[in-house]
Amino acid sequence: MSYFKYENSPYVIRSDIAEAHASFWENLASPGNWWTGAERVAIAQEVRNALSCEFCASRKQALSPYNFAGEHQHGEGLDEVAIDAVHRVITDQTRITKSWVEDNVVKGLSKGAYVELAGLAVAVLSVDEFHRAIGVALEVLPDALPGAPDGYMPALASEGTGYVPMLPNDGAIGKEADLWGDRGANVLRAFSAVPNAVRDWMMISSAQYLSFEGMANFDSPENRSINRMQIELVAGRVSAVNECFY
Amino acid sequence: MTETEIDLQGVNGDAKAADTGVQYGAELMQFAETFARRDDEALTTARNSLLSVAGEAVLVDAAGVAANFQRMVRIADSIGIPYDNPDSSLGQQVRDELNLTAFTSARHTFKQ
Repeated sequence: MSYFKYENSPYVIRSDIAEAHASFWENLASPGNWWTGAERVAIAQEVRNALSCEFCASRKQALSPYNFAGEHQHGEGLDEVAIDAVHRVITDQTRITKSWVEDNVVKGLSKGAYVELAGLAVAVLSVDEFHRAIGVALEVLPDALPGAPDGYMPALASEGTGYVPMLPNDGAIGKEADLWGDRGANVLRAFSAVPNAVRDWMMISSAQYLSFEGMANFDSPENRSINRMQIELVAGRVSAVNECFY
Repeated sequence: MTETEIDLQGVNGDAKAADTGVQYGAELMQFAETFARRDDEALTTARNSLLSVAGEAVLVDAAGVAANFQRMVRIADSIGIPYDNPDSSLGQQVRDELNLTAFTSARHTFKQ
């Protein structure tokens, strides 16, 4: 089955956006470093479930999300720790703490698995949110491909920034040489314990926003109908509503 | 780079400021705001307004940017990353003008 044809869209969708979304859907269906293809697709489904989860909506109003009992509205294929992690990343991310991430390790959600889960969740959200923005139905999730996760983590990934291991600024070398140049910004390094999460991040961002090289170039991008000031106004307003300091 | 004068308060939701130096600025800002607030009825109105003044290619590009930035706060907060260069003078100027340190996610950069 081919995805993201946008045949029902009332608007012409740039081909690079459709291609990036379709490529990510292929990656989503495939085994990763810590999750099978079926589990990765289940994570994608939980992204969608989270946005209409009544427990998430109630917990978000609570003074603390850590002493608030209840059950998420969820699908199949993931344990409750993973389900809760997806729902928090999507609906209550500002209150995620290092101790919560580390408590989850004790409960079986390793930091590598958490990074892959978070990377998938935000990538799926970004694709789905594009559809909501233009007012078209969400794409059907892909059928999972067989295979086992390989447990790969870059040897240079280490703790020190944020809640999880990351490659150092100058650590994009060897098999990870394509991730960034001489120095990586923290937002690039964030998912670098799972290199394909960074690759997916950049692929979608290059189509929806700007390539990494394009971010450093304040001229207007060639294949866009909006200039850099218009791009940053939209980015800035969304970020301000989301209270995104970064 | 450009010499165009803009008003950063457009980022904080001021429609007149958004329109200063930015073509379709008010419509783009309203589209971004209603989208991020998940107000479906207002989003439909804002989408139609942007479409009527700027056309579908602008709408599609703006939708891509808006969708992309739903991701950024979740990356920063789920992993707890600080801003890379908080001491730059430009960064401080923008932070002060937009009062960004009031945001919860600033805690990753300025430990409390």
